[in-house]
Amino acid sequence: MTQVMKGVKVLEVAQFTYVPAAGAILADWGADVIKIEHPVRGDTQRGFIRMAGADVNPKRSPFVEHPNRGKRSVGVDISKPEGMEVIYELAKTADVFLTNYLPRQRQRMKFDYEHIKAINPNIIYARGSAFGDKGPERDFGGFDGTAFWNRSGIAKAFTPKELSGPISQGIPAFGDSIGAMFIAGGISAALFNRERTGEGLELDVSLLSTACWAAGTSIDMALDGTEFPGVSMPRSGGNPGNPFMGNFTTSDGETINMCTLTPGPHIRSFFEHIGRPELAEDERFSTVEALMKNWEPASDIIVEEFAKKPFDYWREHLKTYSGQWTPVLSLAQIAQDEQALANDLVFEVEPADGGDPIKLVRGPVQFNHEPVQTTRAPEASEHTELVLMEMGMEWEQIEKLKELGAIA
Amino acid sequence: MKPGSKLKSAVCDTEVMVIRGTDGVVECGGQPMVDDKPADAGEPSPEFAEGTAMGKRYVDEAGTVELLCVKAGKGSLSLGGVALSIKDAKSLPSSD
Repeated sequence: MTQVMKGVKVLEVAQFTYVPAAGAILADWGADVIKIEHPVRGDTQRGFIRMAGADVNPKRSPFVEHPNRGKRSVGVDISKPEGMEVIYELAKTADVFLTNYLPRQRQRMKFDYEHIKAINPNIIYARGSAFGDKGPERDFGGFDGTAFWNRSGIAKAFTPKELSGPISQGIPAFGDSIGAMFIAGGISAALFNRERTGEGLELDVSLLSTACWAAGTSIDMALDGTEFPGVSMPRSGGNPGNPFMGNFTTSDGETINMCTLTPGPHIRSFFEHIGRPELAEDERFSTVEALMKNWEPASDIIVEEFAKKPFDYWREHLKTYSGQWTPVLSLAQIAQDEQALANDLVFEVEPADGGDPIKLVRGPVQFNHEPVQTTRAPEASEHTELVLMEMGMEWEQIEKLKELGAIA
Repeated sequence: MKPGSKLKSAVCDTEVMVIRGTDGVVECGGQPMVDDKPADAGEPSPEFAEGTAMGKRYVDEAGTVELLCVKAGKGSLSLGGVALSIKDAKSLPSSD
């Protein structure tokens, strides 16, 4: 991939997925991302032994690779003053300081914006938080399961009222991964601003702001007084008012999602494809006004037709339909999907253990149609000596700091 | 061994950076490691053929030696005939 961030140095003092994944996006784009990890424990993320109910192989953990590929790891105990001196030294030449530590921790260990800015006035100081850097809950930690999914209203918006409680997020780091891209976007804009004005700045993205933006159209409607009926329970059938929208069950129990928001231009093609061309002439359905009014009988017919043939038939057959639709796939299926692979959504890195390459999903942006080329996530503290020597630190000083436990 | 210096395996592709050194002899694949790999490299001996992994740090029990693997190979590392072990992060068990 075109290295749009080549020459940009990012100092990452962060853990888990959300904020480190922003560093991973920047690393995919060519930035030199130095990840600071605890000298003994490493990023807490390295201890994730289960995700989404399944065991994780710690040597090939997606929880480590997804948010950390392409970085270098330096082991520093930031709670020790000698360790923080190392951070200050690294910050002198960094373009971006990336962190998700809580305000009280940044203050206690003295790496808040004021401290880093004093060392490097033009630095971009990027914070990722659960609930934002202002207000009474700024010092509350959180995960996407709390701030993004449940606090924001998204969980309830996804839950049919027939269910006894809100559905869970379902995908680990779902909100984190979305928010990470927002942080990377914000940093890119801040770097552009610095290029033009010469000035650094501080920027914030929270998991709550990520969720509110993602749910923005619904929240805006709620602000304007709209009361939503809520989502309905899964069923085969068209949506009220538009029978060309909805999920339809195939004869083998899979699902085709029809999503033709503007049905008028597609009436003929639709009925031809479900094997009922004569309905395009039926006055109940032949105009968009009639179709929308008579959505219920139309839906009944469409349900019946979809139930006659299997998923694979529909998947092939609907390719010539003029409107919008998709087969409903699983995450495992999309990882093998021809269209996804044609767009380089999956790339490989060489693992540390010499085993088969690890396959990873790329970030959402592609430059010049080029696939991502990067390296695996670092081992904890893999590059301590290399980075510190590059910075100009003498070996004697490195040994001294190790003896103090300030680095590893 | 000088900290900061690099050593190569005489019998495989392994290369390490010396992080902490001693007067002892570090072997890879059962053969002493060298500054320059000989042309007629043999094979790692079977007792020391578990392989090295890039980015891993290898230590002895007493903590007198620490080697950072910068290139993986088929041999495994030892100090005076005693196998070195991987120094891994002691992570806190967590679950999503």
